Amino acid sequence: MTRAGASSSAFVSARIIARPPKQRLSRCVRQTLALACAAIQLAVVLLSTTAAADQTLDAIRQRGTLIWGADQEGGGPFVYPQSDDPTRLTGFEVELAELIAAHIGVKAQFAQGQWDKLPDVMDRGDIDIVLNGYEWTPNRAQRYGTSIPYYIYELQLLGRVGDESLTSWEDLRNPLDGRPRKVSVLGGTAAQDYIEKEGEGKIELALFDGATDAMEATELGLSSIDANLQDLPVWTFYSEGFTRLRPIGSPVGRGYYVALTRKADTDLLKAVNEAILKALQDGSLHQILSRYRMWNETQMARGLETNASGGFVGSFISGADVGEKRVDGQESSFEQTSGWRVIWQRGGLLIDAAGMTVLLSVTAMPLAVLIGLAIALSRLYGPGWLRFPAACYVELVRGTPLVLQLYLIYFLLPKLLDTMLPGSGLTINAFTAAVMGLAINYSAYEAEIYRGGIQSIPKGQMEAAVSLGMSKALALRRVIVPQATRLVLPPMTNDFIALFKDTAVCSVITVVELSKMYYIQARSAGAIVELGLLTALLYMAMSYPLSLVTNRLEKNLSQERRS
Amino acid sequence: MIELTKIVKRYQEHEVLRGVSLTVDDGEVCVLLGPSGGGKSTLLRTINGLETFDSGKIRVGDVTLPATPGPERDKSLAIIRQRVGMVFQQFNLFPHRTVLQNVTEAPIHVLKQPRDVAVATARRLLERVGMLEKQDARPGSLSGGQQQRVAIARTLAMSPEAILFDEPTSALDPRTTAEVISVMTDLAAAGQRMIVVTHAMSFARTVAHQVHILHAGTIAESGPPLQIFEAPQTDITRSFLSEAAIA
Ligand SMILES: Nc1ncnc2c1ncn2[C@@H]1O[C@H](COP(=O)(O)OP(=O)(O)OP(=O)(O)O)[C@@H](O)[C@H]1O
Ligand SMILES: [Mg+2]
Repeated sequence: MTRAGASSSAFVSARIIARPPKQRLSRCVRQTLALACAAIQLAVVLLSTTAAADQTLDAIRQRGTLIWGADQEGGGPFVYPQSDDPTRLTGFEVELAELIAAHIGVKAQFAQGQWDKLPDVMDRGDIDIVLNGYEWTPNRAQRYGTSIPYYIYELQLLGRVGDESLTSWEDLRNPLDGRPRKVSVLGGTAAQDYIEKEGEGKIELALFDGATDAMEATELGLSSIDANLQDLPVWTFYSEGFTRLRPIGSPVGRGYYVALTRKADTDLLKAVNEAILKALQDGSLHQILSRYRMWNETQMARGLETNASGGFVGSFISGADVGEKRVDGQESSFEQTSGWRVIWQRGGLLIDAAGMTVLLSVTAMPLAVLIGLAIALSRLYGPGWLRFPAACYVELVRGTPLVLQLYLIYFLLPKLLDTMLPGSGLTINAFTAAVMGLAINYSAYEAEIYRGGIQSIPKGQMEAAVSLGMSKALALRRVIVPQATRLVLPPMTNDFIALFKDTAVCSVITVVELSKMYYIQARSAGAIVELGLLTALLYMAMSYPLSLVTNRLEKNLSQERRS
Repeated sequence: MIELTKIVKRYQEHEVLRGVSLTVDDGEVCVLLGPSGGGKSTLLRTINGLETFDSGKIRVGDVTLPATPGPERDKSLAIIRQRVGMVFQQFNLFPHRTVLQNVTEAPIHVLKQPRDVAVATARRLLERVGMLEKQDARPGSLSGGQQQRVAIARTLAMSPEAILFDEPTSALDPRTTAEVISVMTDLAAAGQRMIVVTHAMSFARTVAHQVHILHAGTIAESGPPLQIFEAPQTDITRSFLSEAAIA
């Protein structure tokens, strides 16, 4: 289902990765990255200690909150900013989380995380459960505690209204004018698996990061996409927003949304199961699902539930429940807001998120410059044994992507700390990890800039300084580094601008900064253009003054050199 | 007293100094002459450790400078560099500091003088080299001759026992050369010991106590200026002087 984007490039949200024709480079990079992440994950698993086993439920009760993880960017009907008050969350999973929390006797506390990283965030211990349209798979069941299903989903094929060349699944398997038909899906979801399995290689895939992006691209026929295979609840929720799409055939590919817990937290899992089961039996789940138009016949097909003593409880719609369930309150579905209204409503949230972007940048950059200077000095003037590691540091950091570094720091470092210093209780929160990652990543570039700057100071300066009796360290501090700093200031300000934009990557480790907030708000409001422009404007407002500073510095420097 | 004994310096295969021995007494003005590439700069720079050397012995007062890098050499250098200053052909003033700050930099940060003491001394020295009006200027805005005079003041601020001059006027035009030579002449008259590499023959002739002709890494002839200029003993000196006269 909701598979959110690791969207580091800002505003083009419809990023299409077509295959099989030509494997695009970005795909290749992605795969490498995925592989690396998998390797890290494995390491994390291996390092995982089985301690703290059943104490989680006690800890939750003591804390008074059940921390549940989801990604708002996935949008409706799962978890999304409320349209009349975007500072508040709504969605059927929000209500479900509250229901589970209430059963345990605590309050539900939401934690934002990138969808595909949620299980890792849970492994890290930052959240107690994942509740975000995760499908049950045998692999997941092996790796995590998987609750009984809270929803039976199906996939709906969507075509364009009036497209007579595509009216059935059969049409989809037949090439049109010698060209295989193309279906958009969310990458890494059951929909993709389904097409790969059922398409018998005759259907082409276009992978997307966001559900609404996929629908939009299909509606517009971008990249000659013919159809979209969508989670049924997503379609029913958003159907008003996509009036040029129509369902084709009946839903296919049934599967189960389950809550995830850590494998060891069996008590917690039991409590989650009890809560869901109770909600099934007393009809409150029916009510929640109905509110989001998710209720359908398929939900009645259940009968797998057991009661506390392990007995079959039958279809969870008890006699009184069958028939039209009265829905208290309003039904919720996609409400598109646009124009000035959406800017007015959600602009404040974007500005707040821009504050996070600024905070990340202004904390990380000075650190990057300091580390960079230390590395540059080690390489140029350090003792022999230090020069090689310093050079390695630069190559290693420059040679690996920022998102991988962030991932390592956030997910692996705490495990390492825990293994090396057991019981120290040292943890790294997401903000610290983000600042560390950015600082380390940029330090390699700043080190090279500084090295160039220092090397371009005439040799005579160091000779004059040491001839006056200064030690090398003093000469560096008083004579060389101050001069080099003036030289490197313009390129470093440039890097600062780049870092501003790179903060967007931090959303992979749950930090919500400007571009993540944009994706969340734009998708839930369907205002890609308006909020996109506002977001661009905010980025500009932050980086343009820096550009001016760079120009100014460069001008001063060239004047100084001329005289 | 500065004493060099059989200094040998090689750049890979190329032997630049081939056993140079030289003594400079207290208060002595010593001038090194010789054709380009003869090793004058190299010799000067081995004395304050800007170059290492391969064998021989350098002694400054009671401190001996080991030939090769290491903590021993660093320790000796720290002392020698406070006793022996250097003035460069390209001045090498610190462009990011004012004239006054250039002069006070080392006294404050190396000798740990109180700032007001260092500033007072610096003003006196700038006065002495005729640069006090420019104390707040940046080196970049000064002429070459002015910069070199500031560089001399900067060196003097460390009260060195000896000053090494490496072609201090070669980058200057004749008028500003005269300014700098006059400052150096005043210093010599005040008893400042110095070793000067220069092409300014008049300075060698009138101010030097000892003149050494360095040719191809060896000293071809040493003596008071009267001997070197009026009665040269070797062909090398004679041919160097006649070439210098043409130039
Ligand atoms: N870093 C170096 N590497 C290799 N050879 C060098 C180096 N520095 C100087 N030399 C060589 O050593 C020799 C002596 O150079 P040096 O600069 O001491 O001569 P000089 O007498 O000062 O000449 P000039 O009057 O041109 O300044 C020259 O042949 C020069 O090419
Ligand atoms: Mg020379």
